[in-house]
Amino acid sequence: MGNKRGSYGMYMFRQKSVPYLFLAPNLIIFLVYIITPAIMGIYYSFTRFDGLRDPVFIGTANYVKLFTKDPKFIDALLNTMKYVAVTIPLIYIVSLVLAMIIIQEIRGKAFFRATFYWPVMISFIVVGVMWQWIFGDTFGIFNAILEKIGIGRIQTLTNPNFAWWGAVFIMVWSKAGYYMIIFIGGLLSIPNTLYEAAKIDGANTIQKFFYITLPVIKPTSLMVIILATMQVFKVYPMMVTFTSGGPYNATRFIVQHIYEAAFMGNEIGYASAMSVVMLVIVTIFSGINFILNREVD
Amino acid sequence: MKKSNKFTVFLYVVAIFFVMIFLLPVLYIIMNSFKSSAELFSGGVSFFPKEWTLDGYIDAIGQGDFGRYILNSAFVAIISTVIMVIINTMSGYALAKFKFKGMNVIMIIILSTIMLPLEVIMVPIFDMLKLTGLYNSLWALIIPPAATPTGIFIMRQFLVTIPDELMQSARIDGAGEWRIFTSIIIPNAKPAIATLGIFSFMWRWNDYVWPLIAINDPKKYTLQLAISNFSGEYAVNWNAMLAMSAISMIPMLIIFLIFQRQFVQGTATSGMKG
Repeated sequence: MGNKRGSYGMYMFRQKSVPYLFLAPNLIIFLVYIITPAIMGIYYSFTRFDGLRDPVFIGTANYVKLFTKDPKFIDALLNTMKYVAVTIPLIYIVSLVLAMIIIQEIRGKAFFRATFYWPVMISFIVVGVMWQWIFGDTFGIFNAILEKIGIGRIQTLTNPNFAWWGAVFIMVWSKAGYYMIIFIGGLLSIPNTLYEAAKIDGANTIQKFFYITLPVIKPTSLMVIILATMQVFKVYPMMVTFTSGGPYNATRFIVQHIYEAAFMGNEIGYASAMSVVMLVIVTIFSGINFILNREVD
Repeated sequence: MKKSNKFTVFLYVVAIFFVMIFLLPVLYIIMNSFKSSAELFSGGVSFFPKEWTLDGYIDAIGQGDFGRYILNSAFVAIISTVIMVIINTMSGYALAKFKFKGMNVIMIIILSTIMLPLEVIMVPIFDMLKLTGLYNSLWALIIPPAATPTGIFIMRQFLVTIPDELMQSARIDGAGEWRIFTSIIIPNAKPAIATLGIFSFMWRWNDYVWPLIAINDPKKYTLQLAISNFSGEYAVNWNAMLAMSAISMIPMLIIFLIFQRQFVQGTATSGMKG
């Protein structure tokens, strides 16, 4: 290492402070705007705090209230978990299928890849606007097409079921291209000799997929599942413009509940307890995934 | 591997099916932004406008002050990206090329910020923005988001590959550390800087959560914040709304077409997270 040379005290001191100075701007921002707020949030969660008067320490009362006296919170939490449980497998399957298309020898590969990736570049807000316009009950083209082809109009975003599945669909639509790229990297790293050996053994395409492709890309799969879960768990901006959480709270998820409690209801201590619960759930989930992956290996 | 014709046909059918799902809705929205409001609400299924008009755009700029929102968004995205690239390259350099006490602690701090979703600490962030005087200022959307763990790790990964000899010989020639950083490290890090820069621009341009927490004054709205507020109004002006959505997408489309390779590589190597 080059920075060990030189024998003057002053020079050494300056050399030693160099890395800290280079790290300083980033670390200061992290400390002020992420680490400190995280600690404050944990503290707030044990207080009664409306943002105006000083927080009052109340122990675990917020947490008790969350799980015993707040059905709206439980609804939002369960709805979010159900949403994650349905959306993640779909994102996984669609992005893997897209990646498997791209790695084939096809013409127009660059065009296909660009098209599949493009929705990733559109903001969640605009994705919500787009699909609200397309799925809209009265003027949406979705209903107009259903009418044209003889199925007839249906209730779309005013129907809780339709809106919920719509929310699943637009999340997959918006994110599949991103995870496709990660899968392409994993798929291309599979040595061809594995497939050739399997071919000699007489394996068919489906067997090759389940006995070679899936096991070899397991680390990639894990990364996709963890990244996607963290993303989907936070779903809210897309819903702001898609459905505003409705109808009948069908697309109301945990972040919206926290945001409204904190910024509209001024229940900051209480909202912080919800945040801590959400963080614990996301962390446990990632942890389980890591452990499962390690055990099988 | 030679594949049968049937398989090839099947492949193209599936690929084109997905092209239609991913591309048509976007093009449809852009086309709709050029329709008159009479045509928008006629319940027709035509893809192209019967009569091209800029009414939506004129409405948005005229009534909604969207010109200002576009400028706000552009200002935030550009300045934040410049700052982000500089400070993340600095940190990546320190972690890649120096050995120092407390390095592990610093790595843990940086890693922990990856795992912590912004949405979970919205309220205390709001407090800290007030405390540091950034609340209701565009700088709240520029400075805090400029520090990203992803950026640091990408730069570190890249800068590790630069040979130490380059820096050593500059030190022997008496160059200061900052000089070494600006004249050796930055020029050598250009590919990583390009990748990081375009991701940062996209994150900031599309950002919603930071503006939601930090901005209250309508004069400081960004495009995303304005569109979301617009969509919550009782009588939505869909003409203007579709025009603004198109305006939000078009710069990203252009940047994407130019820098496609960086986007794909950036996503593949790290799973970029804002």
